[in-house]
Amino acid sequence: MLVLIVRRLFQLVLLLFGISFIVFMSMFIAPGDPAAIIAGPTASASDLEAIRASMGLDKPVLVQYLDYLAGVLHGDFGYSYQTGQSVSDAIISRFPNTFKLAVASMIVAMAIGIFAGIISAIKHNSWIDFSSTTIALLGVSIPNFWLGAMLILVFAVNLQILPVGGLSYSIFSLEGIKELVLPAITLGTASAALIARMSRSSMLEVIQSDYIRTAKAKGVKKRSIVWVHALRNAMIPVITIIGIDFGALLGGTVITEQVFAINGVGRLMIDAIAARDFPIIQGTVLLVAAIFVVVNLIIDIIYALIDPRISYD
Amino acid sequence: MRKSIILSVFLLISLCLLAACGDSSGKKSDGKVSQEVTYASTSDAAGLSPIDTNDSVSSNVTAQVYETLFIQDPKTMEVKPLLAESYETPDENTWEIKLREGIKFHDGSPFNAEAVKYTFDQMKDPKRAAPRASLLAPIDSIEVKDEYTVVLKTRKPYGPMLAALSHTNAAIVSPKADKEGDINKKPVGTGPFIFDEWVEGDHITLKKNKEYWGDPAKLEEVTFKVVPEMSTAISMLETNKVQFIDNLPSDQLSRIESLKNVKVYKGEGTRVSYLGFNVEKEPFNDPKFRQAVAYGINQGAYVNQLHGLGILNESIIGPKVFGYDEKAKNEGYPYDKDKAKKLLEENGYKGQKITLLAANRDNYMKMAEIVQAQLSDLGLNVEIESMEWGTFLETTRKGNYEMTFLGWANSTADGSELLYPNLHSDNIGASNYSRYNNPEFDKLVDESRESVDQDERAKILQIANVMVMKDAPWIVMEHGTVTAAYNESVKGLMVSPNGQWYLNNVSRE
Repeated sequence: MLVLIVRRLFQLVLLLFGISFIVFMSMFIAPGDPAAIIAGPTASASDLEAIRASMGLDKPVLVQYLDYLAGVLHGDFGYSYQTGQSVSDAIISRFPNTFKLAVASMIVAMAIGIFAGIISAIKHNSWIDFSSTTIALLGVSIPNFWLGAMLILVFAVNLQILPVGGLSYSIFSLEGIKELVLPAITLGTASAALIARMSRSSMLEVIQSDYIRTAKAKGVKKRSIVWVHALRNAMIPVITIIGIDFGALLGGTVITEQVFAINGVGRLMIDAIAARDFPIIQGTVLLVAAIFVVVNLIIDIIYALIDPRISYD
Repeated sequence: MRKSIILSVFLLISLCLLAACGDSSGKKSDGKVSQEVTYASTSDAAGLSPIDTNDSVSSNVTAQVYETLFIQDPKTMEVKPLLAESYETPDENTWEIKLREGIKFHDGSPFNAEAVKYTFDQMKDPKRAAPRASLLAPIDSIEVKDEYTVVLKTRKPYGPMLAALSHTNAAIVSPKADKEGDINKKPVGTGPFIFDEWVEGDHITLKKNKEYWGDPAKLEEVTFKVVPEMSTAISMLETNKVQFIDNLPSDQLSRIESLKNVKVYKGEGTRVSYLGFNVEKEPFNDPKFRQAVAYGINQGAYVNQLHGLGILNESIIGPKVFGYDEKAKNEGYPYDKDKAKKLLEENGYKGQKITLLAANRDNYMKMAEIVQAQLSDLGLNVEIESMEWGTFLETTRKGNYEMTFLGWANSTADGSELLYPNLHSDNIGASNYSRYNNPEFDKLVDESRESVDQDERAKILQIANVMVMKDAPWIVMEHGTVTAAYNESVKGLMVSPNGQWYLNNVSRE
């Protein structure tokens, strides 16, 4: 296991190195000049030159990349072209919001998804199964921004029991939890639907396997068969889905952050792309890549914990 | 089954908790409304230093914290002294400005001629790379005559000087704060509000300056909240989480106007939006072709669907900008499809293929669709190419386009500051996106800048305006409006025609 972790972390470093190069180069190939965006359409040519020079954009691309790498090795990820804030500060100040949101929506997704999936697998082909799969299909298909806007209209504007947006209170206060409810539901719905469908098919497969039949024949209680024996085996593919989803959520969720005015990593990245704020783009892309690798590693470890047959040694 | 029971109990409890505390009226326990206002904008400020920024979100904040030497009256657009007390022009190239005495910056350092000199020198320093350095470019030197007198020297006479000095980017900063810290993060000015906190990407808070030199502000606290989605901001306005928004989009206007506790302000603005030709390319280099297009475009079709948030007027210098003349309204090319067709035919144009470039923001896409339909009616073959803003700016600056839409905010509300950057040949390759080059017109614009006699300037601008309208490198689509929606408890809010607002007279009742 330890070997796996060390090997993966080593791969991560190589991966980040490669990604940083690709991202850096593609930003220079892509159209759009950060200086022009800072200066706006009113700027004169000399204003633009001065801004470019002040950001070091007048140097050759390769020199800029090497400068960047040298900074990164010293723990300096650069400074935002737009605001001058250090990239690590910009990310660190926003990541807690994204993390809170990701965890909350994953809880919503898992609670609804696994439960619905298992119920419809047990009551296979009944009206419960039918309605649960239909709702799951609906959940996958509903666009995020629409669901978010509707939830705001109903719960925040008409009923006024939840705030419209923002994420400014501590998670350990009632206000802090209230703020998370609508965004978590908005974001969790699609994942819940996916998890439900995956749990259902995986559970169906397991329930029809031989060892479950043996357990039934032995006279084990039905509840125990489902929740102990079957569930554990059915969870492997579901965990993969959860892991991938969670990784994606941690990388920031632009639309939900946008609709609920949440100051998270996704918005940071999108704003940076629109403003060609290269250091911030670079920093957030590296963060997302690192999160994916780490989350995948954690999933692999969980596999081994759930299923003793899986071993990495 | 047990699990589902636990789950439903949990859901029930949380719903009860939620319902129990849904109060959000913003009232104090003694029944008085707190003197606090939250303003929502769709993006965050780029910075809080007038020297280092050039965007309207930033200037919304800096306008409350810093002050300029002169200020434009939001009603009359007349320039009045603010930090200045009076000024004299002993000769055409010298502006001697007497400053108000006894004013202190928020950090306690004194406001004086040194501070003005320091600010303007920084603004002009190429190393500082101020994005709006062009504002003070005509100033050659800044001299301190005595503690409260500063002398600005220009190489050539500079007519729009006072308008330039009243621009929010020409606000005076505390030299001490700028040398010792980063005023782009922690601004220090002389204004009625003091900077309190900035959580980047989320909100900025200002507090009342209790030692303000003039009438102190009535509001105790102002918060600038970032709400990227307009419809969310409107919901917040409806639930009184936000008391004030501006730049209302026309497609949401009916919803905002139907809100019970919300008032809507609409006023004429200085912004002009236009269809611009790249006059270096064929067939757009032919004035006859441009005129035909101008005849063929019915701006009314566009303006009418803005629900009153747009003003129809073909003059390039708009009604709220210095140099406007009522008569110019009729000097353009009124919609006449037959005339347009005839002009095209007479000059040998038939089925020309045109690419219409549009940035995918503001109302540009809408304009593009309407203009495309109208020009297709003339038998032209128009294709729309849409681009994201960053790419658009670079493409148009290089002149890689045929026809496009752009706007100009006219934040100084001075016609010279519209015609010079946008249409004078000095600025081809920079802000003259149309690459318009007309020596006769250049001469007029130069004269309008170099005269300090405001009546004479107005006359020259009027002539220049009509000349460029006739030549039609631009076809005006609309003149903008300034809008705001605010909670009815907010009193005394004024929005200038250039969209700028000041909160020192605002209170809540």
